[in-house]
Amino acid sequence: MNLPSPETLLYALLVITAVLIAIIVVRPAITVSAPGKMLAFVAFCILPVLCGSMAASTHIERSKQTKFCLSCHIMEPYGKSLYVDDPSYIPAAHFQNHRVPPEEACYTCHTDYGLYGGVRAKLGGLRHIYIQYFGTPPRPEDIQLYKPYNNRECLHCHAGARSFESNAVHTAIRDQLTGNEMSCISSGCHDTVHNVKDQSKVKFWTPGQ
Amino acid sequence: MKEIQIERALRISGLLLILGIVVEIISLLWEKPLAFLLFVGVGGALTFVGIVLYLYSLLPPAVESSSQPRPKNS
Repeated sequence: MNLPSPETLLYALLVITAVLIAIIVVRPAITVSAPGKMLAFVAFCILPVLCGSMAASTHIERSKQTKFCLSCHIMEPYGKSLYVDDPSYIPAAHFQNHRVPPEEACYTCHTDYGLYGGVRAKLGGLRHIYIQYFGTPPRPEDIQLYKPYNNRECLHCHAGARSFESNAVHTAIRDQLTGNEMSCISSGCHDTVHNVKDQSKVKFWTPGQ
Repeated sequence: MKEIQIERALRISGLLLILGIVVEIISLLWEKPLAFLLFVGVGGALTFVGIVLYLYSLLPPAVESSSQPRPKNS
């Protein structure tokens, strides 16, 4: 037996809440009795707060999806860069080989792994929405990170992995990598990231071929 | 009179909450970045005002101070 999804349960809860509230709106006299008062408190206070919390959680989970990030037109070249047919392109190599979850590819790499990393990412997303609709968004090729990419985001997965640890170069500069003295993606080693400016010169992989 | 006021407050509060829930449902069905702003800005505001109005309706009416002096304790 398949259980309903959390979203289905949320929609059901929203409808039930609306129905209970509507009952009291149509017949407010039922709140004269004690059970009626309790029903009103549940319908007017408890359930709306519960629904709002669950809906907020759903919205936050949706905002982690790759398709959510790419739904803005300005992100179209970045979405295309995930399909570049060149293993030296770091995002493409990670995305195509499922080294990051493809459904949450953007969020996986562009969220600090600290305790408040997710919160910072969400606040940054709100700022992006503001700029997209009320400000002057830059050209896609002019978009830059707020701060240099932290090696921690790479080492979060790669540190301890055999292929990483067995590389003599990594071993030699390990302290510099962990201390962010040398960047993984801007020190001449893995510098090909999205490169949206030069997409006319690359080939693209089509899934299924 | 007081009961009529409470019923009126419940109706208004209920309508605001229902509107807020409708906006929340629309924001969940509309899978775009602006949907979150709609959820928080409109749905959240309507729900908040509705709850506050309902809680306000629960407050007892202010008791007028008596003009007669209090009896002294013997």
